[in-house]
Amino acid sequence: MTVLPMGHPSTGWRRIKSMGFRFFTWGSLLFVVGPALWLIVGVVVRAVPNWRWSVLTTLSQGTSGGLENAIIGTVVLMFGVLVIAGTIGVLTGIHLSEFAVSRRGRPNGGTMRVAVDVLSGFPSIVLGYVGYVALCVGLHWGFSLLPALLILSMMVVPYIAKSTESALRQVPTNYREGAEALGMSTGYALRKVVVKSALPGIVTGLLIAISIAGGETAPLLYTAGVTNNLPTWSLLHHPISYLTYYVWTDWNQPSTEAHIVSFDAGLILVVMILALLVVSRVIVARTQRHAEGAR
Amino acid sequence: MEEAVKPDVDPKRIASVLNELDPDANRPANVIETTGLNLHFGAKTILSGVNMAFARGTTTALIGPTGSGKSTFLRTLNRMNDRVAGFRHEGDVRLDDQSIWAPSQDLLAIRRRVGMLFQRPNPFPMSIKDNVVAGVRAHGIAKGKQLDVVAEIRLREVGLWDAVKDRLHESPYRLSGGQQQLLCLARALAVGPEVLLLDEPTSALDPLSTESVEKLMRTLTPALTLIVVTHNLGQARRVSDHTMFFYEGRLIEHGPTAQVFEHSRESDTARYVNGLMG
Repeated sequence: MTVLPMGHPSTGWRRIKSMGFRFFTWGSLLFVVGPALWLIVGVVVRAVPNWRWSVLTTLSQGTSGGLENAIIGTVVLMFGVLVIAGTIGVLTGIHLSEFAVSRRGRPNGGTMRVAVDVLSGFPSIVLGYVGYVALCVGLHWGFSLLPALLILSMMVVPYIAKSTESALRQVPTNYREGAEALGMSTGYALRKVVVKSALPGIVTGLLIAISIAGGETAPLLYTAGVTNNLPTWSLLHHPISYLTYYVWTDWNQPSTEAHIVSFDAGLILVVMILALLVVSRVIVARTQRHAEGAR
Repeated sequence: MEEAVKPDVDPKRIASVLNELDPDANRPANVIETTGLNLHFGAKTILSGVNMAFARGTTTALIGPTGSGKSTFLRTLNRMNDRVAGFRHEGDVRLDDQSIWAPSQDLLAIRRRVGMLFQRPNPFPMSIKDNVVAGVRAHGIAKGKQLDVVAEIRLREVGLWDAVKDRLHESPYRLSGGQQQLLCLARALAVGPEVLLLDEPTSALDPLSTESVEKLMRTLTPALTLIVVTHNLGQARRVSDHTMFFYEGRLIEHGPTAQVFEHSRESDTARYVNGLMG
């Protein structure tokens, strides 16, 4: 038996504390992983037995038929949000982290930061209604792609800006100093050295943003409208379909056929998000093969 | 048999031809001069009254206890302090007889002419080759296939070529600390600086790597002018021609290294170089 000086916690007590802590961290992990698995399995189990490949290639007929129009609509929305919100969000994040710094080196840009926080706190349905009143009705744009993209982008810009800002702040001072001492301009160093090493964080932010855009329903009900037709090239006056509409609407129909379509839409969404996840991980792995942590 | 003809050349003529070939012939003898330089961060004065000239092609060691202002002085010479909050300066630093703060000066050009090597190796998160040519690319000095040549020449120059020639496209972080520092040196040399500032370049390295960096430093002069901050007094004696001793925000003494170490004029210098002051 080891004799410890008086007042020291015993090894046994430390072991219990350590085990307790590990128990809680594992518990939290389960709390996150459990529901995600439950959701995925639940959708797969209900959708796969009745799966028809034709849903991918046929148009919707209200509560029956296929989902081709909704799939393409969701892809268009995701891509549009990636372009609009991605550009604005990443640039906002770069501004907050690199340029909005006071002369004493403390973070600055208070107004912009508050604006970003306020925007992220808005309920999506409020944004959707604002879009409906201001854009669809006020500007006579009607249910169409552009108001939907603008409202979705407003929703997700804060996520992208925040994740970009914090990723950039974690770039070691070493890199910045080294680039500065070589005579690189601020912009050049940012593009070639700083942003590159912050890329995993930025890509994660973008991924979350497009996933939200793909999974959002409320603001789209007010701005995108619904149609059984394929998306057109026009930004205005033509409604556009999206998968979440069918998930929700068809589930509320009395017919089994509609329920099947509802779960098909859910499955397709899940697969799309997982595919995005894989693609983003591949991009990150490719760009980070020379990173400090990668060995 | 032909008679061997003894070339009849005037040695003065040789000297004048050589002089014509010397790119530095028409330049000031001192590459950097500071006059009445005072440095402040906010209300705090870091360094005051530094008058110093750095002769072209020599190595100068900056020694002194921590907080004596030598690193701040070093980082002023390529204007790395300009962006630090609260930094102010009085007096002047002249690079080739032109103030480095003159409005006509291009900051990026100054940084190209006055390179810097840091205490901790700081390769960029890109391949070994891309690291070497990062500055070359930024300044548009070379492009395409030329970059491969630049990378090879500079890696040979620092003695790293044989170790990395088969993994030019791999991550620099797989190299040892000493190799990483040599890589950073190759990167700094690649843009063709006139002056190289070294901020405790070997304090994070093991003795063998330190030796290879020091050996390299000796080969860089007189083509370059080196100014090195070091806490390693042995290193100062081994590599430098001149030594500056900083203490409590003042340049206490400077002169040829042997003189500063063996016949110090000031008692503080003598105490420091003899290890009686930490």
